[in-house]
Amino acid sequence: MPFVEIEGKQVEVDEDGFMTDPAAWFEACAYYFAKGEGIEQLTDDHWKVINYLKEYYATNGIAPMIRKLCKETGIPLKEIYELFPSGPAKGACKLGGLPKPTGCV
Amino acid sequence: MSTETAKGLRQPKRANEKLFRTLGIEPVPDEKKVEEAIRHLDDFRNKLRSFVVTMENCVKCGLCADNCHTYLGTKDPNNIPAGRADLIRKAYKRYFTPQGKLFGPLVGAEELTLETLEKWYSYFYQCSECRRCSHTCPFGLDTAEITMVGRQILFWLGIGPQLHTATAGAILKTGNHMGLTKAGIIDTLEFLAEEIEEDRNGLKVEFPTDKPDSDILYIPSSVDFMLNPNTLKGAGMFFKWVGANWTMSSRITEAGNFGYLMDQTRIQREMVTRLYEECTTLGIKKIVWGECGHGWRAAKMYVASYSDLPGVAKIPMTHIHDEVAALIESGQLDLDPTRNSQKITLHDPCNYVRACGLCDQMRVIMRAVTSDFVEMTPNRERNFCCGGGSGVLFDDPAMYEYRILASNKKAEQVRETEAEVLCAPCSICKAQLYPMVKEHKLPVEVVGLIDLVGHALVFPEE
Amino acid sequence: MEQFVGQIMPYFTVAIFLGGVTWRLWRWMIPRIMHNITLSPFPGTWTAAVTWWVWQIAIFWNILKFDRALWIGAFPFHAALIAIIAGHAMGIYTLGLQFHMIAPLLVSADLSVWLSDLLGTTMGLVFLVAVLYLLYRRFTVEKVRAISSTSDFLHLFLLLTIAGLGNYMRLVPDAHTTYLEARTFMAGLFTFNPVALPQNAFFMWHFFFVQCLMIIFPFSKLMHVFGFFWMRWMVNRPFKEWAPGMPGAKVQVTK
Repeated sequence: MPFVEIEGKQVEVDEDGFMTDPAAWFEACAYYFAKGEGIEQLTDDHWKVINYLKEYYATNGIAPMIRKLCKETGIPLKEIYELFPSGPAKGACKLGGLPKPTGCV
Repeated sequence: MSTETAKGLRQPKRANEKLFRTLGIEPVPDEKKVEEAIRHLDDFRNKLRSFVVTMENCVKCGLCADNCHTYLGTKDPNNIPAGRADLIRKAYKRYFTPQGKLFGPLVGAEELTLETLEKWYSYFYQCSECRRCSHTCPFGLDTAEITMVGRQILFWLGIGPQLHTATAGAILKTGNHMGLTKAGIIDTLEFLAEEIEEDRNGLKVEFPTDKPDSDILYIPSSVDFMLNPNTLKGAGMFFKWVGANWTMSSRITEAGNFGYLMDQTRIQREMVTRLYEECTTLGIKKIVWGECGHGWRAAKMYVASYSDLPGVAKIPMTHIHDEVAALIESGQLDLDPTRNSQKITLHDPCNYVRACGLCDQMRVIMRAVTSDFVEMTPNRERNFCCGGGSGVLFDDPAMYEYRILASNKKAEQVRETEAEVLCAPCSICKAQLYPMVKEHKLPVEVVGLIDLVGHALVFPEE
Repeated sequence: MEQFVGQIMPYFTVAIFLGGVTWRLWRWMIPRIMHNITLSPFPGTWTAAVTWWVWQIAIFWNILKFDRALWIGAFPFHAALIAIIAGHAMGIYTLGLQFHMIAPLLVSADLSVWLSDLLGTTMGLVFLVAVLYLLYRRFTVEKVRAISSTSDFLHLFLLLTIAGLGNYMRLVPDAHTTYLEARTFMAGLFTFNPVALPQNAFFMWHFFFVQCLMIIFPFSKLMHVFGFFWMRWMVNRPFKEWAPGMPGAKVQVTK
C-alpha cells in the first residue's frame, strides 16, 4: 500500500487514498486530505461532521447512516455535499480517517 | 493509479497484492499469468457445460449487439456480447479445438497474451451479467457465464477491482458488504424505529436482531443501513403489519453477494454458509430476501448447488416481494395508494426478471401501493440493464464515465415515461441510478419498492 | 478425380461427419450443468419448455423479435435449407413421387414430379438470395463485421457455391441430372457398391462441395444445429417455486 507524508510522519493509505488504520489519525491528516479534495478551509461545520463521524466510528466500528449524520449534526445533506464535494461517505469519511465504504455505494 | 492504460482500455482501479493476500490469493507473476489462465480454461471446459456450449455455438449473427446496453452506450465491438465472449473464445479455439490449432486466425483462433488478459479485465468488468444477451440470442447462449469465468480466472491470477476485492474482505470479516458491525446495526435500527415513531404518529416498529426462536429470517441489503433507509423501514413496517415472528442476523446482514460477482468458489460460498448456520442457530422456518438483484439470484438459484450445507433443501426461501404480492392478491393488506401519488415508473432489475421469475409480483405491488404507475418500454424480461449490474459501480473517472454511457439506454427509457419517480427494487440499481439521474439531468427521484409499501400501509394505530 | 470424389471420398466424409459429431456431442456431455441458470420467465412444465423450443425453431421467434433485419435473411435461409435437404432425400429416393405417395388420391404421379421440380427450383432460388443477403449483411453491417473472422465469410461462400451449382443444374437444361441418375448413384454408395458419378461436372462439384461442408461441420459453428438444444436444455427449464406464506405470522395468505 502507498504511504503519504503528513507533518513528517509516514501515513499508510489504500488505493483510494483512505487511511488504512483509523487509529493512526491525527488532526493534520484532515487538512492534508482536505487539500486533495479541493477543500480550501476547514470551518466549524466541517469539524462538526468530522468529529461526529470519528466519535460514531470509535463507538460502533462503522460509519453512521447518512440520514443520522445529517440529523445529529443538524446539517442537511445538500450542505454536506457543499462542504465535502465527494459527499459524506467518500469525502467526509476520508478526512476523518474512516475507511472507504465498500459495497453498493 | 491510472485507470486508462496505455492502450486506452477502460479498467476499474485494481486491488493491490496485499489485499489479495488477505483473501488467500497469491498473485501470479506476469510471466506465468498466461499459462495459468490457459490451465484454468482447460479446467472450465471439462467442468462447466454452459461455458463449452457457448464457446462452440456462437454463429456470429450479431443479434446481441443492439440488445446490449454496453454496446449501445459505447459502440465498442468488445462490448458486443459475442465480441466479449470472443476475448476468451479466440484462446479457447486456439488451444482446445482442432480447427483452431490448424488454422489459427482464419477460424478466429488466437494465442492468449498478457494484452488479452488486460482486455479481459476491462471488458468483463463492463459487462453487468444482466443476461439480456442470453434472453435475446436465438440459442440462448449466455455471455454472463463467460464473464463469470473470466472474472474467476482473473481473481485467481490476482487481478480484480478494488471495489469487489475490498468488499470480499468485508464479507469475510462481517458477513456483509459494508462492513457493518453488530453495534452499528443495532444503533441504526434504533434510529430508524425513532424516525418511524416521529413520522407515523407514534407507530412503534421493532427491528429485532439475532432474536432466537424466530420463524422468519429477513435478509436486508446492507446498504439499506447506510443509504436506503426507507427500504429497511418499509420491510419492518410490513412485518409488523402482518405480525410476523421475524428477525435479522448480524452475521448475515446482506442480501447481496459480491462473491458471486468475482469469486464464486469461496467468497460466494461464505455468504451461503453463514446463512444456513444462522438458520440453524435461530431456528428459522423461512428465509425472506430483501431488495437485491444479484444476491437474490445467487440465493434462489444457486443455493441448491450447495447441497452439502444443512437445511438447504428444507428451509423455504422467498423474496419479500413474493410475500407482499401474495397478501395483496388475497386482499389482506390495508393499503392507501394515494400516499404514493406521483407519476412513477418501474425499472426491472435484470436478475429478478431474467433469472429469478420475479416480475409479475412487482406489478401487483405497484398497482396496489401507487396511484399513477406507467410502464417503461421495453419492460419485464425485455427491459434493459441500469448499467451498474454485477457491481459496475466504480467511481474512478474512466469507469464513472463508462457507467454514464452504459446507462444511456435506461435514461432514454425513463425520460420517455415522463415519470417523476423511478422505482428500482435493487441496491446496485439504486447506486447506479442515483448518478444516472444526476448526470442525465432527469428530474426523477429513485426509490425502492418496499419503501412504497411501508408508506402505503395503513396501521390502525396511526 | 471423379472416382475419388464419387466413390472413395464419400466414405471418409460420412465417417468424419458421424464420428466428428459424436465426438463433439460427447465433449459437451462431459462438463456438468453445475448451477441452475434457467432464464425467466420460467416455463411452467417440461411440456411448456419443449413447446418454447419448438416455437423458437418454427419461426425463429427471438430473431423476429430482436433483430428483424436479420430475420428476413436467416428465416428464409433455414426454411429453404430444410426444404432442400428434405426434398433431396425424399425426391431422389422416390424419384419425385413423394407427394403422390403421401396423398395418392389428391396428387397424381405427374403432378408430384411437377411439384417436386417447382419446390426444388423455388427453394433453391430463395436459399441463394438469402445467402447473398446474409453475405451482404456480414460485409456491410458494422456490428456484424466487427465480430466476424474469415471463416464466417468462407462458410457463406461455400454455401453460395453449393447453391449456385445446384440452381445452375436446375435452370440450365444441359447441366441437368435426373432423379433416377442421382438415385442410382446414391444407392451405389449406400449399398457399399459405389458406381460412377453421373456424367455431369456440375453434379460432381456440387457433390464435392457438399462433402467439404460435411467434413468441416463437426469442427465449426455449424454444430449450432445441436447446440441450440444443448443450450436451451440448460436455460429454458421449469423451476419449482417455494410457496409464499410466512409461518408464525398473524396474517396468513388465504386462498
